[in-house]
Amino acid sequence: MKQIALYGKGGIGKSTTSANLSAALSMQGLDVLQIGCDPKRDSTRMLMHGSFIPTVMDLVRERGDAQVTREDIVHSGFNGVRCVEAGGPEPGVGCAGRGIIATFQLLEKFGALSGDVIVYDVLGDVVCGGFAMPMREGYAQEVYLVTSGEIMSLYAANNICKAIRRLSQRSKSTCRLAGVICNAKNMPREDELVGEFARRVNSRLVQYIPRDRCVQVAEMHKQTVIEYAPDSEQAERYRTLALRVMENSAFTIPTPLDINELESLALEYF
Amino acid sequence: MSSNPLPSNTSRFEGCTLTGALSITTSVTGSVSIVHGPSGCAHHNFSLLHATALEHDGVDAPSIISSCLSENEIIFGGEAALERALARAASLNPACIFVLSTCIAETIGDDAGAVCRVDWGVPVIPVQTGGFLGGVFDKGVNNALCTIADTAAPSTRQGTVNIIGEKNLEYEVEENHAELSRLLSALGLSVNIRFVHHVSPDEIAVLGRASLNVLRDEGQNPVGDHLRARFGTAYLPSFPSGLFCTLQFLKNVAAVCGVPSHPAVTMEQAVQEEVLAEFSDLAHTRIALNGAGLAGSSCGIAREVAGALTMKVSPRGCRVPLPVSPPVGTAGIRRMLHRWRRMINA
Repeated sequence: MKQIALYGKGGIGKSTTSANLSAALSMQGLDVLQIGCDPKRDSTRMLMHGSFIPTVMDLVRERGDAQVTREDIVHSGFNGVRCVEAGGPEPGVGCAGRGIIATFQLLEKFGALSGDVIVYDVLGDVVCGGFAMPMREGYAQEVYLVTSGEIMSLYAANNICKAIRRLSQRSKSTCRLAGVICNAKNMPREDELVGEFARRVNSRLVQYIPRDRCVQVAEMHKQTVIEYAPDSEQAERYRTLALRVMENSAFTIPTPLDINELESLALEYF
Repeated sequence: MSSNPLPSNTSRFEGCTLTGALSITTSVTGSVSIVHGPSGCAHHNFSLLHATALEHDGVDAPSIISSCLSENEIIFGGEAALERALARAASLNPACIFVLSTCIAETIGDDAGAVCRVDWGVPVIPVQTGGFLGGVFDKGVNNALCTIADTAAPSTRQGTVNIIGEKNLEYEVEENHAELSRLLSALGLSVNIRFVHHVSPDEIAVLGRASLNVLRDEGQNPVGDHLRARFGTAYLPSFPSGLFCTLQFLKNVAAVCGVPSHPAVTMEQAVQEEVLAEFSDLAHTRIALNGAGLAGSSCGIAREVAGALTMKVSPRGCRVPLPVSPPVGTAGIRRMLHRWRRMINA
């Protein structure tokens, strides 16, 4: 079983990329589980044709953990992709990070972490230990950074490199950086910039995904691009990403940049 | 585990803010203290306070309720659990309710203050006591004293004295208070309230009436400052300790309260001479001071007393115990000398 996690700045397109990746993987005949690890709970929405599935945390809050079953939290979406949303507390109260940990414990209890591929779609900033949960031992061994060429997006990606490096130093840790996915804003030389960033953090650009209107059109129809426009160039890019993810074996311990290095890198390609 | 068994080498030797605050709030009669956190925080402190009360021949268990936070409250927020605990506490019809926070409640950012501001039909007083914020036992004591003091309104002074911050968990709390009352009454002064030792909220309301606050020790100076700012009351920073300092204490109290000191000082000198005469059999004995690293502040007093009795302090002398807190007044010295005599004659 392959377990991968997508991390990146909020709003950068992790959920869109994750959903299309999961859809493309499922079209290869693989049994895929996608877990949204963000209290926003919209990771799997396009796979579920626009419906918000009940989150693990909502169910626990309403019924108590003892009354929640595997069937309540695992929902079948496009092409049989199994979808889970961790959810979290109401905004402004409690501890969302602990919610992620509790969700993982519940999924373990149900034996739900199974299949050919698990895709973890995680909140942009690894703000506390809870959001690093998918990187811990036994979960995602391959972390993909989703970023555009914008400096704040690269900054967030660089911070995640720091988290991976720290976790990779622990004994038994198998968490590694598997590559960088450029979800472009269509800035000039963006692919070169993100490619160079990837190289400097000791990784590589796995796929360049240009901004394409068909993503928005597919989402207006509450579908992934893979489902809505399977013959489009964009769908082909996601399929290529899926192939590369399955073939990838170049996993590294990242070498995060300091802020000055990061800013001068961005300036070089501005 | 530390290879050195001294208590001062133990992590958090200075204790937890929560425990310090509970040692004060549970001494307000008729009140209930809610510990907003996992039930273990309440149980641990309940056990400690209960065991100490039993040592002091107390029969009442401390009135403590836990909001019983569990994992779900940590994830979704614990304010609803605090509301349930407050409703339960209010149903007991207490004189007032204290709400003390814990590490985890502070970590997840529960707004206990906002929950307490709701009208619960009885006064609800929040005290910030998250131990991980760096405060120790004494910080909890001081936080609780300052918070409770704010429930009393300023009033006209009546020439009495407040006893501030008695260490409710120490062994000789009643003996120390009796000694202090004796010294004050020698000056013709009486105690207004013991703040806070088994007093009701009604008694606390007259906190501002005293002309002088006597603090238990210098660690409570922030409380003395707080009370001076609120009520304009002068304070002395510690209970009297040692032969010379006990006489000086009488002079200091007399000066602040505007009463003559000479008769009381003369009388106390005679009491001290009587005590020294009672232990004259210890003269020329060689003693070693044994405080196990805990009783540094008692060392100076012990040397003063040993000198007055012409005892010799030497590492090869008989090991005599030092009180953890310096002995209070002349009576405290007498009790210390009794313990020394038992060791020397053993």
